[in-house]
Amino acid sequence: MLSLSSYFSAAYLGLFLPAALALYWVMPQRGRRAVLLGMSFLFFWAVSGKLLLYLLFSILSMHHMGLWLTDLQRSAAQALEAAPKEERRALRTAARRRQRQVLAFAVLLQLGVLVGLKYSPFFAVNINSFFQLLHLSWQVEVPKLLLPMGISFYTMQAMSYLFDVHRQKIQADRNLLRLALYMSFFPQIMEGPICRYDQTAPQIWSAPPIRRRNFALGLQRCLFGLMKKIIVADRLNLFIQTVFTQYENYDGFVIALAAVGYTIQLYMDFSGTMDLAVGTGQILGFQLPENFRQPFFSKSISEFWQRWHITLGAWFKDYIFYPVSMSGPLKKLTGRARKRLGNHFGPLVAGTIALFLVWVCNGLWHGAAWSYLFFGMYHFACILLANLTGPYTKALKRKLHISPTNKPYLVFQIVRTGILVCIGELFFRANGLRAGLEMFEKMIREFSLNSLADRTIFTMGMDKMDWLMVAAMLVVVFLVSLVRERGKPAGPRFWQTYILPHYGLCCLMLLAVILFGAYGYGYVPLDPIYAGF
Amino acid sequence: MEQLLEILREIQPNVDYDHCDTLIDGHFLDSLDILALVAEVEEVFDIIIPTVEIVPENFNSAARLWDLIQRLREDG
Amino acid sequence: MVYFKRALALAALAAAMVALLLVVSWIVMPKDNTTEAGMEHAAANGILGEPANTIDLCVIGDSEAYRSVSPLLLWKQTGGTSYVCATSAQKLTYSKIMLERAFEKQKPKVVLLETLAIYRTITPGDVFLNELSSYFPVFRYHNRWKTLRAQDFTGPAQATATDQYKGHHPTLNVDPCQPGQYMVPTEKAAPIPRLNRMYVQWLKNLCDQHGARLMLMSMPSPVNWNYSKHNGIKDLANQLGCDYVDLNLKTEELGIDWNQDTYDQGDHLNHYGAIKVTNYLAKLFGDMGVLTDHRGQAGYEGWDEALAAYAKDFLR
Repeated sequence: MLSLSSYFSAAYLGLFLPAALALYWVMPQRGRRAVLLGMSFLFFWAVSGKLLLYLLFSILSMHHMGLWLTDLQRSAAQALEAAPKEERRALRTAARRRQRQVLAFAVLLQLGVLVGLKYSPFFAVNINSFFQLLHLSWQVEVPKLLLPMGISFYTMQAMSYLFDVHRQKIQADRNLLRLALYMSFFPQIMEGPICRYDQTAPQIWSAPPIRRRNFALGLQRCLFGLMKKIIVADRLNLFIQTVFTQYENYDGFVIALAAVGYTIQLYMDFSGTMDLAVGTGQILGFQLPENFRQPFFSKSISEFWQRWHITLGAWFKDYIFYPVSMSGPLKKLTGRARKRLGNHFGPLVAGTIALFLVWVCNGLWHGAAWSYLFFGMYHFACILLANLTGPYTKALKRKLHISPTNKPYLVFQIVRTGILVCIGELFFRANGLRAGLEMFEKMIREFSLNSLADRTIFTMGMDKMDWLMVAAMLVVVFLVSLVRERGKPAGPRFWQTYILPHYGLCCLMLLAVILFGAYGYGYVPLDPIYAGF
Repeated sequence: MEQLLEILREIQPNVDYDHCDTLIDGHFLDSLDILALVAEVEEVFDIIIPTVEIVPENFNSAARLWDLIQRLREDG
Repeated sequence: MVYFKRALALAALAAAMVALLLVVSWIVMPKDNTTEAGMEHAAANGILGEPANTIDLCVIGDSEAYRSVSPLLLWKQTGGTSYVCATSAQKLTYSKIMLERAFEKQKPKVVLLETLAIYRTITPGDVFLNELSSYFPVFRYHNRWKTLRAQDFTGPAQATATDQYKGHHPTLNVDPCQPGQYMVPTEKAAPIPRLNRMYVQWLKNLCDQHGARLMLMSMPSPVNWNYSKHNGIKDLANQLGCDYVDLNLKTEELGIDWNQDTYDQGDHLNHYGAIKVTNYLAKLFGDMGVLTDHRGQAGYEGWDEALAAYAKDFLR
């Protein structure tokens, strides 16, 4: 009955979160744990109801399989020690194979639920159109499935846990409740950040008391996220929805503006949600992993992905890119290719194969649709192109005497990367791949500034004041990002010593959200974008 | 150690490997450099670097990497 | 001592924040009940501009209500005064606000609640924001930062405007439908969410406090109404102890002709349908003796002028 489907709903911000914090505050340590776990499951149940069973299945299976893996490892180590030297090699190979089988089974259990729930409609639709192509009258029933909240996120957490246990980076956890809390922690389950067991689980489980300073700084962070989301992302929604649903009616400039606007919206929505999640964690005394590091200062697409949705990129890097590119056959390939092609192009062959896999997975992770796959391939192509031309652009720069710290060149790189990202997001948001291609074509072919000249731009869901507000907020966010990018110390001394000024700032930010937020009469709040993935 | 520095310089010149301790975090080496580095190190020192060891902490400086190589040699 | 100081500082800050919110609330509050001054739903809120204690019947609800009831026609027939405080897709949260505003200056004897609003889902978020904005109007009128003018800072806040049709929205368009027998008797009762029940109870209490009688009424609408909703509302009315009239069961008595009395294929009534409903109300309230004949009394001259204009356009 509680409408908690978004972290920015009044029910969550006004009722659920304060209640959870208050309960946490009054409890002793063991009670605090219970509050976190209880509130997390209550939250999940309030949003997804019976689908809670899927989460329970994931938790139970990862708990059991993790212990199984550790048992195998321990008995293998004992057997190795007892065995005579000449038999050890065979024993080790056998043990490894067994462990790998168990790991594969464990991962399959996790992935199976995700794929089954999230991708089977996509497969069914495509199988049907394939049959149609062959003029066969067979039809597969397209299932209509409800996704449990955050399944794309918590499944990644479960898999990283299993991989890490297998790699003996961590010990399997005997404590089912600790694993349950790691999987269900309510401030981040819906949209991440995707946590790692070794960094996050012990922290949350320790359930430290709330400290004054953490509370003030965390609250400040939450409110900044609120500003990004409610003042900017929700406001842009009116314009973006108008243009993307009826793109036929608009010319190239409007479509380009919508592409840029959507990129900004996505950033404000997602990084704002992350501010709220990480800020809530900070209030409670945890350090959740950061998901953004000023992504729009990136000089290349590959750098962009180290600054945007960091935890997802890191997941793919650790559990797909390196394992694949370092696997036996590809390692051999790299070794051989290096001798022929040199140090740059040699590893590129294996690297590209792994990179391709990463981007297929990245595209599909966002959703089962061809446009998401295209989005993945687009970024793959951008990075591959940069890798291929890397040595030549380097040589060219040397010839033109452009140093890597040359300011205009840096700006050029940053702007270029921004434009490439916006184009990618255009396809990402478009209603299907075909609409994306048509929009892109229109953007190039029918570019004119008419809508600006005759001021019709102010009739597409956002009036002049709305645009001004977005611009003002962009300046604020830009300045904050600039300070963070430069790594300057956090303000003058009184700011660092006293807490009251932070509460003062909190009050002002709250007032800004209340006064300038795009909510209530005449606005439709944007559905949380990343919760849909 | 000299051998390792030589490999590093071959893969990515213009880096002060004696002092730099942010090779990964400072983006001096990218993922392709790591691939080349691992392949070369494995061949020259006759070791196998398992995937679990491929973390920034082990690659952030030449000294750290040297420690890793020593450790893997002993285990091997 | 340290704790005391800290608590004091935080309390001072909280007080400052509340004060700031109140000031900002006052600034963004519309200084008149017109659209230009920033008032939402100016037609329904026109009741704020009616002279004190002149309205005997108040209608709240959604578009079904403002399409079906014509206060000026009722005035013409009976001399009774009424106002339609209905807004499109009204939620019960807003019904409560409309009722509170109506009771500010008026003492209606009867409050008529159109029942479709009772089935419109309200979320705890709606309630939260609604209650908050009754203390801090900035939550409702925050968007007015775009249109602030000098007098918004200097005041005073007043209500000068009223609606030419007293909240009614007449239309002469016709788009017929053939609904057939849409009220097929059934034992089933469409369930009413608990929060909605609570709200209707609040509305009832509010009416009791102000000496008004709450009545539930379903306006004819084949698109929106059926027998199980009828049963649901009937049960609710029994629990609350108030009257319920379902005009969907009386379309023959009213003489509703779906070939000409709807402008959107049975979703809402048009002017011709509204005449029939209003005539029925005139008789119903006449029999009940709730409407006083104010025709010719001092202070009610505005009603005759409004009726003349309305008659010119609609009652030829």
